[in-house]
Amino acid sequence: MDDDAHRPAGPPGEAAAWTVLAYLISGPLLYGGLGWLADRWLGTKPIFVFVGILGGMALALYVVWVRYGTHDRRPPSASDDAGHHCE
Amino acid sequence: MSAMLAAGSGFEAPSTADFWQPLFGTDGPFAITRASIVILLSAVVIIGLLLLGTRRLAVVPTKGQYLTEQVYGMVRNGLGRDIIGSHDFLKFVPLLFSMFVLILVNNLFGIIPLVQFPTMSRIGFPVGLALVVFVIYHLVGIRAKGLGGHFKHMIPPGLPLPVLLLIVPLELLTYFFTRPVTLALRLFGNMFAGHLLLVLFAAGGEYLILHSNVPGYVPVGAFSYVMAFVMTVFEILVEFLQAYIFTLLAALYIAGSLADEH
Repeated sequence: MDDDAHRPAGPPGEAAAWTVLAYLISGPLLYGGLGWLADRWLGTKPIFVFVGILGGMALALYVVWVRYGTHDRRPPSASDDAGHHCE
Repeated sequence: MSAMLAAGSGFEAPSTADFWQPLFGTDGPFAITRASIVILLSAVVIIGLLLLGTRRLAVVPTKGQYLTEQVYGMVRNGLGRDIIGSHDFLKFVPLLFSMFVLILVNNLFGIIPLVQFPTMSRIGFPVGLALVVFVIYHLVGIRAKGLGGHFKHMIPPGLPLPVLLLIVPLELLTYFFTRPVTLALRLFGNMFAGHLLLVLFAAGGEYLILHSNVPGYVPVGAFSYVMAFVMTVFEILVEFLQAYIFTLLAALYIAGSLADEH
């Protein structure tokens, strides 16, 4: 796209904050849910829910960091061929 | 659900029942409700205002034209161009502008005398709008990059396989569930809670002053009305903000689906 030179890679900062919320909810929901199922299956009541929620939060934060936090530091020629990824 | 203030008092706290208001003796799933009348009224008001605002367009605008242009310009440039990008934002401006104006007017109806009902406090309306956004940002992505490309786009590139295995389900859940659900719930929750709060302060104030029969409660009731006023002002802010955020997120999701990786 010809306007990409002017467009920041990804939405402007304060706008991106609103999309981040969806990730922060998805993470604990998904892995907390899987943990809950694992607990039911293995009879280990609170252990995997706990691990799942915490792990889900960590993963969600990691995704947010990968998507929104690495634009400025990573040069376009870095390891992956998709120099930047919008949103 | 009714909450009793003190023994023997008959104060009915506002509840979810206040939001179900079928009219003209209708009932059931096809009832004509206050919300459905309000949204029809909003369509009439919006069409009327926009026709008035765009009638006899002039280089030196009238007040109406100026206001219309301000709102349109804000959506077109602030939400369309700046977020979707100057290359292909124009075809989304009609959608974004209609969405913003529709939500804004329906939200403001929450505090406009006589109407006083925020349509979006009935969850069906935000769900419908969120579904429109959901279908559009997926369709736009599939059209721009093909079905495979659209799904590939949801996954951040350049991650090792073990991390991908954990992240792919997370991304899919975000794109197909969390995004539309939070979009609808945010709008619904804000309008529902705000309206409930206003009804509580107004009804509480009225009860304390007129029906409690305890002279000491009268100043408390007056304070309740002060709070109702303060919350009304706060609601105006929330109503603008929620209309803006809903449209902003619609634009962001569309932009995300369009964004190319090269």
